[in-house]
Amino acid sequence: MTTNVPVIDVHAEAHGSGSTHYLNCSKGFWSWAGTLDHKRIGLMYLIGTGVAFLAGGLFALLVRLHLWQPDGLLFKDNVQYNQIFTLHGAFMVFLFVIPAIPGSLGNMVLPLMLGAKDVALPRLNLLSFYLWVTGAVLAALAIILGGFDTGWTFYAPYSLYTDQAVVTIGLAVFVLGFSSIFTGLNFIVTVHKLRAPGLTWFRMPLFVWALYATSILQVLATPVLGITVLLVAFERLYHIGIFDPRLGGDPVLFEHFFWFYSHPAVYIMVLPAFGIISELVSVHSRKPLFGYKLIAFSSLAIAIISFLVWGHHMFTSGQSTYAMFAFSFLTFFVAIPTAIKEFSWVATVWKGSIALNAPMLYTLAFLIIFAIGGLTGVILGSLNVDIHLHDTYFVVAHFHYVMMGSIALAFFAGLHHWWPKMFGVMYDETMAKIACGLIFVGFNATFIPQFIMGSRGMPRRYATYVPEYQPYHMASTIGAMILGVGVAVMVFCFVASLFQRKKAMQNQWGGVTLDWLTPTPPPLENFAEAPTVTNEVYDYSTLDYKAMQTPVR
Amino acid sequence: MSAHHDDHSHGALQMGHHHVSSSAMFFNVLVALLILTVITVGASRIDFGSANMLIAMAIASIKASLVIAIFMHVKWDTAINRIVFLSSFLFLSLLFIFTLADHATRRWDHEMHTTRTPVDKQWVYKQHEHAGDH
Amino acid sequence: MSHDGHHSVVIPAPGPEFVPHTVAHHFDTPVQEFQAAKLGFWLFLATEILLFGGLFAAYFYFHESYPETFRLGGRQLDWKLGALNTTVLLISSWTMAMGVRSAQTSQKQKTLMYCALTVLGAAIFMVVKFFEYKAKNEHGLIVFSELFHPYDGATGSIPWFKDYHGVMAGVPHGHLFFAIYLTMTAIHGLHVVIGAGLILWVMKGAAKGRFHAGYFLPVDLVGLYWHLVDLIWIFLFPLLYLVP
Ligand SMILES: [Cu+2]
Repeated sequence: MTTNVPVIDVHAEAHGSGSTHYLNCSKGFWSWAGTLDHKRIGLMYLIGTGVAFLAGGLFALLVRLHLWQPDGLLFKDNVQYNQIFTLHGAFMVFLFVIPAIPGSLGNMVLPLMLGAKDVALPRLNLLSFYLWVTGAVLAALAIILGGFDTGWTFYAPYSLYTDQAVVTIGLAVFVLGFSSIFTGLNFIVTVHKLRAPGLTWFRMPLFVWALYATSILQVLATPVLGITVLLVAFERLYHIGIFDPRLGGDPVLFEHFFWFYSHPAVYIMVLPAFGIISELVSVHSRKPLFGYKLIAFSSLAIAIISFLVWGHHMFTSGQSTYAMFAFSFLTFFVAIPTAIKEFSWVATVWKGSIALNAPMLYTLAFLIIFAIGGLTGVILGSLNVDIHLHDTYFVVAHFHYVMMGSIALAFFAGLHHWWPKMFGVMYDETMAKIACGLIFVGFNATFIPQFIMGSRGMPRRYATYVPEYQPYHMASTIGAMILGVGVAVMVFCFVASLFQRKKAMQNQWGGVTLDWLTPTPPPLENFAEAPTVTNEVYDYSTLDYKAMQTPVR
Repeated sequence: MSAHHDDHSHGALQMGHHHVSSSAMFFNVLVALLILTVITVGASRIDFGSANMLIAMAIASIKASLVIAIFMHVKWDTAINRIVFLSSFLFLSLLFIFTLADHATRRWDHEMHTTRTPVDKQWVYKQHEHAGDH
Repeated sequence: MSHDGHHSVVIPAPGPEFVPHTVAHHFDTPVQEFQAAKLGFWLFLATEILLFGGLFAAYFYFHESYPETFRLGGRQLDWKLGALNTTVLLISSWTMAMGVRSAQTSQKQKTLMYCALTVLGAAIFMVVKFFEYKAKNEHGLIVFSELFHPYDGATGSIPWFKDYHGVMAGVPHGHLFFAIYLTMTAIHGLHVVIGAGLILWVMKGAAKGRFHAGYFLPVDLVGLYWHLVDLIWIFLFPLLYLVP
């Protein structure tokens, strides 16, 4: 084998100077639609998932309005109500929560944090985005074809019998699944192969660790969802019979397949949020993370354990008593790595130099809400208690404390944190803080009543209810409206910042990870000089205060 | 481990360190696979009772291991690639174990509320024994 | 090793019949490019294993529930054709491995020949599969023309399964075996077709001399895909044709 092959330098011209960056380096539709730049793809994801979030939120408001009175306020029949809450769930889960953080912030920040020029497989990255678009178009098509009323879980046998566009939305989920898989695959390869010299595994920022653990789940769990929705489509098309009890099939098998993915999916959603919070508590307290390695390993531990507990969604499905015992027992183990994280965050903030700006306010809100969301999860994981609480609003409130209260709030926190990095502009801090306050109050006002009425037996997914529950429902609806206003103020605040163009600082918050060491906004290939890492992670003694006072050009 | 260059960063060749198997080895593996196929068919003719499935899957697993190790070069591949591919089987086995364990320990009594004894898990079969009149 | 984005690395061609390869700009070294792509592809193959794994889990689940149905159903398949196809796929896996080896050793003509033989194997496999499906169609076990007709829950009979009184009459839910057989072999068959298409695409590049000892990544990856197709069939053959 030859060992001395000359390396030929084909074009050695230098790149543009500091004032050109990824936003203005090229113009025109195709410079965006055909871009391979991870930052532009991240921005397109941000817009796409943002629109999906607003649409999903609108559906939620409609559902809450309908439940204002016991016999329903808005919808003409139960089917329509079922369709709207299904749309809310499907949009939020598949088009927003799963792709949002990895797709937008992950794409934007991960290569920056690694000191890489791009993700390892840029074409695949663009393909991921277009698969997301295809999934979104198919979901819209399913609405046009008459909608779907199965809930986001597509439970058999109902999903096999209902006369709605289940095949189309199933196809959408399949395509969105592969979008998610390819993002995860790309991130794993990027972390393994594109770390800057000196950036050892234990010098990686925790957002990178979290995205890495998420990616493992995306790659290993999502294919099973793919085959599950495919099998549901086949059942509807040519009646395989494996999920259809009339044909000798077993709906419980569907639930096994579905939750084999969808429990780990909860961690596909929440691990990136954990990653954002880990970054933010450190930067905005200007303190190295307490228990860095513990947080890093707990992400991996959560990823692995999450494959062992899916049956806790099936305690009333008719699965074997022994299986239920095992699943309930194993579920409690998830609480250990999760609690390690929560304690580490709180310990990081403790006696830190806390800056109470908008990203930090969202972070603190997360810490409170996630504690409630996590602990109610332990309650639901207990087999005997779950028999009572299963399919009540208690479950709805629990997973909204995790999905909306924790994940979406962490996403907002990260968005405020990296907004100046992404665009070089600052939003109005006061307005952002007001939005955060409205969201925090509105969120709790929406879901605390749901905990109470759920524990008192109000079942989920009902279009009408007995009048005894009306006060809770009214409180919840008012809360949802406040939450809606809060989100509207936040969106306005972001959009306005793009027009006001109040310049951000080169290093707005004083971060010391590589993403803050490149110019703001970053140039096309991220770093003018190839970075070499010599410091330990979160070492604030190296902070260059000048960059915090130098506005972007 | 440094991420940016390999231990074999001596040249620009992608295969700088890549293993090239001998043709003879590939051919021997093919012969082994064909022989194992004959054994698969042969074994299916003999009734080992409840071990039938185990034996069939064991032979198939040996064949699969040969394909993975030699044809797919996993034997000479990097540790991370090996871990990635083999972990897919590990996680798949979790799906198998929990799902089939539920099936095996489930009470297949369709009249659970009237009879409290575990019944034959093939009750559906019994029910449809005379299903000829569909 | 330099990390600045200003240089492109080019792997020279080993001979006049080959063309050089330019390493993608965001990689520093060819080895990095090779390993990144390969790790990515192994991850993709892992997803394929889990995707098929769901089908296998369903197979085992219902093999447990209805062993007689599966045993009797398996006997309706022609194990000789199954064994023939197994042999074809195993040989094609060997030709593919040899094709990759030829690319690794810069043997252009051999690369093309072995790839062509692999495509031939894929074609034979699909032809045999076609005749198998045709026989199932004629026996009323899988009537393809009625595959997508609506199922009438009231009568409980599936339009594409005509054997309620035939060979499968004595066992419960006779259609279940054939539905699983059809689903598994059809998805596998789709992979065979995609694999053959990928090999043809690789052959196009090989004919232009793009693959040689310095750069053979696409041949290697497509080869891995083809071996995976073989791998799945290794399990499908005993499970479907020789139901244990
Ligand atoms: Cu769960």
